[in-house]
Amino acid sequence: MTDDESRTRRRRARPHTRRRFLTAAGAAGAVALAGCSAEQVDDGGDGGDGGGGNGTDDGGSESGDGGDETPTLTVATYTNFIDAPSVSPGEWLKGEFESRYDATLEWATPDNEVNYYVERAASGAGIDADLYVGLTTEDLVRVDGALDEDLFAEAGDVDGRDAVKEGLRFDPFERAVPFDTGYVSLVYDSTTTEAPETFDGLLDDEQAGALIAQNPGGSATGRAFLLHTISRFGDGGVASDGDGEAVAGGDGDPDYDYLDYWAELQANDVRVLGSWDDAYAAWSEGEAPIVVSYSTDQVFADMEGADLQKHQIRFLNDQAYANPEGMALFADADEPDLAREFMSFMLEPDVQGEIAQRNVAFPSTDGAELPSDYAELAKEPADPVTFTYDELQGSVDAWVEAWERQYAGN
Amino acid sequence: MTDHDGRLSRLGNWAEARALTALAVLTSAALVVAFYYPTATVLIEAVVVDGAVTLGAFAEVLTDPFYFGELARLLSGESPVAVARALLSPDRRLGIVGFTAYQAVLSTVASVALGLPAAYLLARFEFPGRRTLRSLTIVPFVLPSIMVAVGFVATFGENGTLNAALTTLGLPRVELMFTLEAVVIAHAFYNAPLVARVTTAAWESVDASAVETARSLGAGPVRAFVDVVAPQVYPAVLTGAALTFVFTFGTFPIVLALGGFELVTVEVLVYRLVRDLSYAEAAVLAIIELAVSLGVLLAYLRYEARQSTGARGARPLPRRPLSPPAATLRELLPRAGLAAYGVVAGVVFLAPIASMVLASVTGGDGALTLDHYRFLVERQQTGAAFQVRPWPAIRNSLAFATGATLLALPMGVVVAVLTTRRYRGRTLVDAAAMAPLAVSGIIVGLGLLRGLVFGVEIGGWRIAASGAAAIVVAHAVSGYPFVVRTVSPGLAGLDRSLVESARALGASRARVIRDVEIPLVWPAVVAGAAFAFAVSIGEFTSTVVLATGADAYTMPVAIERFIGRRLGPATAMGVVLLVVTGVSFVVIERLGGDHRGL
Repeated sequence: MTDDESRTRRRRARPHTRRRFLTAAGAAGAVALAGCSAEQVDDGGDGGDGGGGNGTDDGGSESGDGGDETPTLTVATYTNFIDAPSVSPGEWLKGEFESRYDATLEWATPDNEVNYYVERAASGAGIDADLYVGLTTEDLVRVDGALDEDLFAEAGDVDGRDAVKEGLRFDPFERAVPFDTGYVSLVYDSTTTEAPETFDGLLDDEQAGALIAQNPGGSATGRAFLLHTISRFGDGGVASDGDGEAVAGGDGDPDYDYLDYWAELQANDVRVLGSWDDAYAAWSEGEAPIVVSYSTDQVFADMEGADLQKHQIRFLNDQAYANPEGMALFADADEPDLAREFMSFMLEPDVQGEIAQRNVAFPSTDGAELPSDYAELAKEPADPVTFTYDELQGSVDAWVEAWERQYAGN
Repeated sequence: MTDHDGRLSRLGNWAEARALTALAVLTSAALVVAFYYPTATVLIEAVVVDGAVTLGAFAEVLTDPFYFGELARLLSGESPVAVARALLSPDRRLGIVGFTAYQAVLSTVASVALGLPAAYLLARFEFPGRRTLRSLTIVPFVLPSIMVAVGFVATFGENGTLNAALTTLGLPRVELMFTLEAVVIAHAFYNAPLVARVTTAAWESVDASAVETARSLGAGPVRAFVDVVAPQVYPAVLTGAALTFVFTFGTFPIVLALGGFELVTVEVLVYRLVRDLSYAEAAVLAIIELAVSLGVLLAYLRYEARQSTGARGARPLPRRPLSPPAATLRELLPRAGLAAYGVVAGVVFLAPIASMVLASVTGGDGALTLDHYRFLVERQQTGAAFQVRPWPAIRNSLAFATGATLLALPMGVVVAVLTTRRYRGRTLVDAAAMAPLAVSGIIVGLGLLRGLVFGVEIGGWRIAASGAAAIVVAHAVSGYPFVVRTVSPGLAGLDRSLVESARALGASRARVIRDVEIPLVWPAVVAGAAFAFAVSIGEFTSTVVLATGADAYTMPVAIERFIGRRLGPATAMGVVLLVVTGVSFVVIERLGGDHRGL
């Protein structure tokens, strides 16, 4: 109990962190040396933040020191969710949640995202957050494979969970609750090319060198596109552990798998760059007319006043790979009840609409409040495809590795 | 009173006598806390899997042709003759490790080729703005890879400046993007400045009287160069080459941004494996990277130790004017060569940077605009407390880099002093001191998370460190090897009799270093300081790991955060980084001054 309390307070009040750090500095002379010179830097940092005019966090921690009643909810997420150059839902969600509930919301955005919490759990350092927002099916598979004990708790009693669309519920153990979804598709410049309508069309001579994709080992869009090709052509049994069981593709040809398709795609000069940034930047400069990206591309293009003819969406075979994002409560949360209230809040119709627009994605629930013209720019495929938790478990690593080995091959 | 003063001065003497030891202990402690222990927590996973010690993961990687190509067959027991035959055949496989080394060798050759003429120009000629130009040479070194990628696509791409210029001149277009050549040129963009900077420092320290002696003994200018100047300059060229090899061997985002997955390197796979939590294989690959990089560094250090460059720096060679004093072939030829080099340097270094600056003032419709800078101002004024804002990023970058430089300088000088002595086990000390250059950045980042941010439990206390001070120490640890490498060749070449006479006259070891040795190698110390500063400014991986909370982010972090569909805001922040670091380098070298000890 005392332990819990002190942990909560430490998280709220920055000075404690610094004191904890000074303890460490005392232990190691070298750090102490740096501590002396750097403490000023740290103070300067805090002062600057206060002077910046928007002292919400600082205000929260000050009241936290003087015996507060307002509980603090720490929500971990990826950085783009709270800080992107265009739009992001973080600031609106914080303001809205704090005005509707008597609580303070603090964001945590560690660079390693959910892996950071896997590391925390493994090191025994305590989780220090109440819930994670932005989990994918693959994240869950990876987390469950790495840890013996549960990192996340079952969602349990969360109002509005019934409204979540059936097809998006990706966690068989009902921990993660989907709050939005996105689709990975092709984006192309229709002033220079007409994108093919099928996967096979990408192999035509006229599409030689036309497509830029991303490394499935380092980029979410790259991985989604790879998974989409597996869903289309089957995996040829590369993840079967010798029992010969293969994932069948939608093409109905058991002798042609995703590796065969990629061999032909590579022969047709596809570019597999590193991150989505690399790929989109090269595409924007006109290095190739088609890029693997999100089906909401026109929303951004419209915001910037760009020519929509240069930002056309293509769903290959009328499909796109769906990447639903979920939120889940940490098993070690200090504020589980408040966290569940937050999850309910995230599923309310007006909030669902705001998240979709500010995260430039699609709501996970039926009945979200969206402007009637939202679908004009944010496109949804006729036939969304995605692998389930069970399908990914034990297979996804082998799929990516087999692809790497074939594609690199030097 | 007198007694008190006496005690004080005795205390002072005692402290002075032990200053070197104390600094060495502090340096070791910083290395252990901010590098060795954290890195070990990750590398250990190569051999400890589920609590049991095993070499299985190693054996698997070493005998896998995917990683080691034909060599893997040798390691798995095939006959050397068959393997040699396979290696000579046209369709040999290098494996990922082999290919990574191959592209690093090409990049090193390109960096030296592009760096040497710059060193020649900066060390041997006088022209307006020479010192500023010399200060600015390291600027490319700090640019985030996404900025370089943007600049390169805009310069060398399908619709880039180079092709536009070639078309205007009626020349055939080039298709450079997504090739090994593009990656090698980008590596040269980063590392040729490094070669140029260390070589310039050595060249400026060549003693004019030695050249004059050679000339008076009848040696022609070429002969004097080959016999006198070259032996004093090429250890520095090798320093630059060895460092370039190590950096490009561990190259990560730029290969996939400008090349593509066909050119995948070891570090790209380490990144994927860490992301997928496959730590054993990631650690094995990181250890292989470490072994190759350290091997190259140690081979170079053995060479450096055998060189005694003799007296240096007493009186530098006089610089020549850039405009030819007479229209003779001897005066015109080198200048014509430099003019040709100027064109190449303009394309490789200036054009990508200019393209970046242009991108920061170009709107979505192609017209000139200040919108992206307006975005920075707006973000500064209205950004939420938890969002990254430009001014704190600039302030933090400068504060961390200043702190890291002030820490890296004594660390580097102490290690340089210790490693220029001859004693048994020196190789080991060298290897230990240079290791921060050779370990995968991704592994160090994960290690810092485990070792510093989460900390260790000792006697019921969890001792952890993060935030500004930890960032400064981590940056100093990554930057100090540069100080060692720039300072120690000079220290090794010092006339020992100077040190010995000072000692005989009663000066403590620390005092000799401060009053005699450092002043004699001052240009190298300033160059080392500039590198330490640059490393800190450009550092990304450990900064994001250690910056807990929203108040310790730096300019590269801000650039990464501002990347979106439009590249404008990120490039605008990139230009801010460019200007801030450029001014800093000029200030550092002005503060360092041109003065020498003797």
